[in-house]
Amino acid sequence: MNGMIKKILIIDDSPIARKMLKSCLPKDQGYEFFEAGDGKEGSVKYQEVNPDITFMDLTMPVMSGYESIEEIIKNDANALIIVVTADVQMKAVKKVLELGAYMVLRKPLNREEIQSALLKVHDTLQGAG
Amino acid sequence: MESSVLEDNILTQDEREILQEIMNIAFGKSAADLADVIDAHVELSIPFIKSMQIPDLPEYIRSHVKDYKLINIVEQKFWGKFRGDAILVFSSGAGKALIKMLQSEESKSFDSEPIDILESETLMEVGNILIGACVGKLAELLKDIVSYTPPMVLVEKEYSEAIAHGYYDHDKKAIVLKTDFSFDTGNVSGFLFLVTTNESIMWLKESLNTFMDQYE
Amino acid sequence: MILNQIFDAINLGIVVLDRDLLVQKWNRWMEIHSGIDADKMIGKSIFEIYPDLESSKFKRSCKSVFSFGNFCFFSQKLHSYLFQFKTSSYLGSDFEYMQQSCAMGPLRNEDGEISSLYIYVQDVTENAAYQEKLKDLNIKDGLTGIYNRRFLEARLKEEFFRYKRYSGKFSMVMIDIDNFKEVNDNHGHQCGDFILKMVSARISSAIRNIDYLIRYGGDEFCCLLPETGLEGAYTVAERFRALIEFQDNNYDDEIINITISLGVSTICDSVDTPEMFIQKADEALYKAKKEGRNKAVAMD
Repeated sequence: MNGMIKKILIIDDSPIARKMLKSCLPKDQGYEFFEAGDGKEGSVKYQEVNPDITFMDLTMPVMSGYESIEEIIKNDANALIIVVTADVQMKAVKKVLELGAYMVLRKPLNREEIQSALLKVHDTLQGAG
Repeated sequence: MESSVLEDNILTQDEREILQEIMNIAFGKSAADLADVIDAHVELSIPFIKSMQIPDLPEYIRSHVKDYKLINIVEQKFWGKFRGDAILVFSSGAGKALIKMLQSEESKSFDSEPIDILESETLMEVGNILIGACVGKLAELLKDIVSYTPPMVLVEKEYSEAIAHGYYDHDKKAIVLKTDFSFDTGNVSGFLFLVTTNESIMWLKESLNTFMDQYE
Repeated sequence: MILNQIFDAINLGIVVLDRDLLVQKWNRWMEIHSGIDADKMIGKSIFEIYPDLESSKFKRSCKSVFSFGNFCFFSQKLHSYLFQFKTSSYLGSDFEYMQQSCAMGPLRNEDGEISSLYIYVQDVTENAAYQEKLKDLNIKDGLTGIYNRRFLEARLKEEFFRYKRYSGKFSMVMIDIDNFKEVNDNHGHQCGDFILKMVSARISSAIRNIDYLIRYGGDEFCCLLPETGLEGAYTVAERFRALIEFQDNNYDDEIINITISLGVSTICDSVDTPEMFIQKADEALYKAKKEGRNKAVAMD
């Protein structure tokens, strides 16, 4: 993978979850990480930082993942948001995809899943390029 | 009123956060699998962790259910390295609402049973599955295997008589994991309390740290 | 080696099913009580041999065991049995089929995954028989053996709840023996008891399986007729009246004839509590008495 993905934004109210996600990502790619602890903070950070990929949790205080996705997509239709959640009921998955999320990954995370997700993103970005 | 886990030095700040995230994952997965098994959408709230002295437990539970007036309770013990009591409290009318929810092609057999037997059977069945889902997923993440006692049920009792003062070990501490649940098919809601005591807590601390080691 | 022997020696049925609910193990106890050898069961779907098992509750339980590893319990009180085995005792039994208490739980493979489930089956027929007797003592009348008033109250509560949910028909016949006091005065209390038994037996023989005959008071009975409207109930009441009128009760070589008066009521929008239901039947009964006894009156 070349340097198409530089900035990664992680939005999750659990510091442990953010840590877990970071540790699943390859260490040698020089990613720059940004974090937010709720949906509102996340949406604001997004505008500030303009990340290449955003990982979003769904159940958060202040503003939920659903609302945050909506807000981010409103301001940037090309936002690449990967939803990371434990609750993978059809209802929830459908809703976030309709809102514009790129894909849904289920917790707990493992390295292989994240790697293949990144490859997919990379292909998409290349194609769009 | 709020006694912090830190105060009692039971779990460290880190351990508490790990447990919180593990519960988020466990209960999130439970909700998904539950929907598959009982064919209904269940919302499980973000779980809440609290430590307390065992004798304070009845009052704690009562404080949550006092708006309910009449309640239904399903209780089961679970036993692994992680062990304790699961106490599931349903709002009034839950039994009847759940009967309706589970009723399908078999309405014939339902009509021949007395309502109160059907109610307790349905509460026990759904309660058993709900408890099994939450405890089971939690145990799975912590790499533990758990067995269960048969569920006991109390149907439509006044909350004050249902949650009695039992024989409690006064020097036992407990960690209470609480989640709110509600079914989308109207009007069934309640709380799940998982009470785990001294014996489990040391093991819990260890396994929480082991869990995080995967993510270093 | 030892475990295998325990598997077949234990006084408990053990069945192991894989994720497709095909039989993997069927122990000796199951062979004995089902009459089916293990080698005829292994590899088959459990539903092929026991189609009655295929209920949504059973499948739901299996699903939850495979998903969560929880334990599901099937108590005798709520299910009677899972596997239909005829009771095999020559000593006679209250039950046609073995009463069972069963449980289901997960079995894991070397990788720790839940690959099968077990079902264990306990014969609790004897216990269940004791429970029935205790129950009977509570809801049956000692003298006549029919239901008692406590049962009536519970039953009515049931039916009204059902009516509120499903509507439908439900009627009641209140029955009173005419001049019962005279029987006691002229022939003694033992004869009075005898007459009560004769009347309840006669009427019992004339009702359907779904109807209930209850001893309501000293010489009063109440008959509950589910799924029956006012007209139908009146016809039934008339039949009772005639049966009792023409019955010769032979007590100590003396033929005693008695008659009954009957009042009929039915659940409808204006009669929507058990108390009103009974009151309406009582009013009809009173009318029957006033109009000369040996009569049935229906009140709507």
